[in-house]
Amino acid sequence: MIRKILIVDDSPISRRMLKSCIAKDMGYEFHEAGDGLEGLNRYKELAPDVTFMDLTMPVMDGATSLREILAFDKDALVIVSTADVQIKSITNVLEIGAFLVLKKPPTKEGVCDALTMAAEQRR
Amino acid sequence: MTDDLTISEEEADILQEIMNIAFGKAAADLAEIINIMVNLSVPKIAMLQAADLHGYLMGEMDGSQGISVIEQGFWGEFRGSAFLIFQSGAGKELISMLGSDMESAFEAEAADVLERETLMEVGNILIGACVGKVTELLQDVVTYSPPRVIVENKADDVLADGLFDPTYMAIVLKTLFCFNERNVNGLLFLVASQESIAWLKRALCVFMEQYE
Repeated sequence: MIRKILIVDDSPISRRMLKSCIAKDMGYEFHEAGDGLEGLNRYKELAPDVTFMDLTMPVMDGATSLREILAFDKDALVIVSTADVQIKSITNVLEIGAFLVLKKPPTKEGVCDALTMAAEQRR
Repeated sequence: MTDDLTISEEEADILQEIMNIAFGKAAADLAEIINIMVNLSVPKIAMLQAADLHGYLMGEMDGSQGISVIEQGFWGEFRGSAFLIFQSGAGKELISMLGSDMESAFEAEAADVLERETLMEVGNILIGACVGKVTELLQDVVTYSPPRVIVENKADDVLADGLFDPTYMAIVLKTLFCFNERNVNGLLFLVASQESIAWLKRALCVFMEQYE
């Protein structure tokens, strides 16, 4: 079951766009972070069920944050949400251990499917 | 959203995200064509009058150094010109990254012609993909003029005040892209008419409606 969702992205607009794609009636609890390091710290503090992670961010990039989160919790479900749609970038984060990669801009259908898959994984 | 042609802070944030998505697409297109990895930096966007562009750009670079500029016009509801500026030496770096075939050609062909063609091709891909994605997201279709290239001239000469229509607005996307660990600094900016800015403000509003 998915309850806590952490969104890590340096763009407030991007966080808003992603959040708006998530169903409002599911009782999700949302948390946000503005860079990879803050995302890592929030992850340790909150233990979210799912984390959405941007890649190109200041302070700590998303790939590094993903690696650190998985070192802390090997069962972390991190969905990378990125504008960096190069095949090598996507392959890289999947090899690190991202659960899924969503290309920006987000769509309601894409985000809903990703959360459904995450919920099945959490069972 | 405001009624005048001033871009609000929120509109600039939306545009920055759209430009970020568009540049990611442009980098992916380039990476696929020349089989390299493009490491992207966090882009920064600035909006200013084209009349102030020369001063802004001179603050971003050393006017005495050589730069190369690729310019391409685009026409649709959103119309204007896109400019991609590379720092000195970028053309030769790009040629060396394009592999042995290009290096062989480099020996056979006049160096300046090859550098011009390489910059034109890379600029064409980056500008086309970036402008194309911005206008696709904002539900517009544009056509392009052939790119023009100015290779390795002094920045202060190339970016003379008369290069841009002073009544136009400039949308500057400052980004650093790094090809396979080799730094190539790039500055991409769009210069658009006031009519285009009015359309852009409406299009940004429509774009965000799907995320209400």
